[in-house]
Amino acid sequence: MVRTRKTLLTLATLAFAFGASVYAQDSMKQDGMKQDSMKQEAKPKTLATGTFHGKVHNTSGRATIYQQPDGKLVLRLTNFKTSNGPDVHVILVAAKDADDDANFLKSSTERVELGSLKGNQGDQNYEIPSNTDLSKFKTVSIYCERFNANFGAAPLEKF
Amino acid sequence: MNAHVGFWQSRKKWVLAAVALPLLVAAWWAFRPEKLWINQKVSEPAPFASGADPQPLYTGRLEGTAHQTSGRATIYRSPDGRQYLRLTDFSTSNGPDVHVLLARSDDTNLLREIVKGQLDSVELGSLKGNDGDQNYDVPATVDLHKYNAAVVYCERFHAIFGLARLEQF
Repeated sequence: MVRTRKTLLTLATLAFAFGASVYAQDSMKQDGMKQDSMKQEAKPKTLATGTFHGKVHNTSGRATIYQQPDGKLVLRLTNFKTSNGPDVHVILVAAKDADDDANFLKSSTERVELGSLKGNQGDQNYEIPSNTDLSKFKTVSIYCERFNANFGAAPLEKF
Repeated sequence: MNAHVGFWQSRKKWVLAAVALPLLVAAWWAFRPEKLWINQKVSEPAPFASGADPQPLYTGRLEGTAHQTSGRATIYRSPDGRQYLRLTDFSTSNGPDVHVLLARSDDTNLLREIVKGQLDSVELGSLKGNDGDQNYDVPATVDLHKYNAAVVYCERFHAIFGLARLEQF
């Protein structure tokens, strides 16, 4: 009788300890974004980002997709640099990544046109059509339409 | 009459010119060779006002080394100049005495699961949780060009749980 009671007591203690540790785990706090300004206004969200690679036409910099408070999607290139060329466009392709001189016409890769490259150096923004499925179009390509050549590509990952 | 002179005096040169000039123009239009040394610089501002928000300076994806680790590590600078490391979508395995460090991404120790000797690093604090978003203050004196990798590190076993090589945002 005494032994059973002891065993029960031990079990109960163990169960309590386990429960308490699980509770402690669950109550783990999640840090919020540090905010020094008090006002809470609508802010753009950073959805995805990635860095450019491209060796044939030396391409570097960062591509980031932001969502404006009004829902509009914007692609922004920063620290950007590529070679200048004829008829160069910025496109989103339905691929995880793209090699140098990939030909999206030949491979019939689906793409979304964002416009002509505004400059081969510097920060620049491109509007993304609002119906674009970003879970599908995951790579930014600097694409020379005339020669169907990929100057550089930036695979995007969730920010 | 000399044949050579005859060519240059004949109408053939006009035919040649009529053919060659458009070809040259077409080739120039297609290749735009002058663009090889002419740069077109732009500098558009961000499409939103961002002065009052913390700015991301460096970012990278976390990858598991000794334990499966995932998420994103980003170093922000607040408007007041303070810097902090923020982990988002973060997940690693739980463990004893786990810390968050900044190390040098070119350190060969980072290629190992278990560090040999001492890891050249800056301590940011004990890991607050093995799951979820979290912030760690980065001392203002840290050279972020040098210490450009965020490491989840188990001090007890010198094990690198996972790390993110940070690149300029």
